[in-house]
Amino acid sequence: MKTIKTIQKTITLLSFSLLSVLSSANALASQADDIEITEPFAREVPPGAPASASFMTLENISDAPIKIISAQSAVSKVVELHTHTNDNGVMRMRQIPFIEVPANGMAFLKPGGLHIMLIEPINPIKQGQTVSVTLTFEDGSQKQVDMPVKSFMSKMGQMNGHSKVAE
Amino acid sequence: MNPKLILSVVLLGALIGAGALLYPTNQTQVAAPVNATGHAQLISNDRPAGGDFTLTGVAGEHSLSDFKGKLVLIYFGYTFCPDICPTNLGNLSVAYRGLSQAQKDNLQILFVSVDPERDTPQRLQQYAGYFEANVLGLTGTPDTLAQIAQRYGVVYAKVDDVNNGSNYAVDHSAFTYVVDAQGKLLTQLPHATSPDDFIAAIQLYQPKP
Ligand SMILES: [Cu+2]
Repeated sequence: MKTIKTIQKTITLLSFSLLSVLSSANALASQADDIEITEPFAREVPPGAPASASFMTLENISDAPIKIISAQSAVSKVVELHTHTNDNGVMRMRQIPFIEVPANGMAFLKPGGLHIMLIEPINPIKQGQTVSVTLTFEDGSQKQVDMPVKSFMSKMGQMNGHSKVAE
Repeated sequence: MNPKLILSVVLLGALIGAGALLYPTNQTQVAAPVNATGHAQLISNDRPAGGDFTLTGVAGEHSLSDFKGKLVLIYFGYTFCPDICPTNLGNLSVAYRGLSQAQKDNLQILFVSVDPERDTPQRLQQYAGYFEANVLGLTGTPDTLAQIAQRYGVVYAKVDDVNNGSNYAVDHSAFTYVVDAQGKLLTQLPHATSPDDFIAAIQLYQPKP
C-alpha cells in the first residue's frame, strides 16, 4: 500500500512539473504578460510643435530578453521608437528598430534617452489628457499603455495640475 | 534606407562626435553647416569668441548688443525637437518663476532656431511664448546662423534621411550659453541643467546692483 501511495504521489508531482514545463514553453505566457510598466507619461507639446515624446519604465519578469518592435497610437499619425545619445553635449536623435528589456531587468524610457515618439499629433496633446499607446513585442503580443500628459514646465511632473502656476 | 545615406549620416555623426569631444574640454571650436549633404568642416581655433550678432524675431531684427546691461542666456535648438529643447526650456521656465522681479528684469533668454527651413519667426515666438519665461525666439539665414554657431562653438546638422520627409531631426549641441551684461561669452551650462542650477548661475553672473 505504501509503495502504491508513493508511486501515486510521484506521478502527481511529475504531471505537475510536466504541466508547468509545457505552459512556460508554449505561448500561454506571452511577452506582453511578462512586461510590467510603471510611470508612463507623454509630454505636452508647445503650440505648433509637431512631435511629442513619451516615456515609461518597463520591467521584464521573465528569464529571456524581450523586444518592443513597434508602437501604435490613435493620437498621432506616426509612432516611432527612438533614442537620443549625448556626445559631449551634442544631442543626436535616431529611430531604432527595437527597444530591448533585459531578462529579469528593466528598460528606462526617459528624457534625453529612449522614447516613443508621437509624430504629427492628430489633436494637440494637452496636459490633463490621457493618451493610449499600444506596444507590440517580438512574439506579436501587445500591451496597451495609458499615459497621462504632463507639462514641459513642471519639474518632471512634480507640479501636476494647471500649467500656469501661480506664484 | 539606402546605404549611401546611412554612410553619410554615420560619417557626419562621427564628425560631430569628434568635434563635440573637443570644445567643452579645451579650445577647439567646431561648426557644421545645417545640411548634412557634404560640407561639414572642422574649424579649430581658440575657445569660442562669442560676440555680437543680429537675428530676426517676430517683431523684426534684434542684436545681442540690444541687451547690454542684462545677463543673456542663449539656447540653440529647433521647435520640432520633441524632447531636448523642451526639457531645457522647461527647466529654464521653472527657474525663471523662481527669480525675483529684479532678477527677471536683468535677464534675457534667447531661443535661436538652427532650423530656419521650418521655424519661421512667427512659429518660433509662438513656441517660445509657451515657456512663460520671456523667451525671445530668433532665427536667420543659414549663412548667418552658421557664422554665429562657429563663433559660439555650436554644432548642428540636419539628419538627412529620405524616410524622414518633413519630420527630419536636427542634431544639435544643447548647451545654454551665458553672456554677461557687456556681451561677453562667459561660459556654457550643460544640457538639462536643473532649475536650481540655472538660478544659481543667474545669481552668480548677473550684474550686482
Ligand atoms: Cu524622437
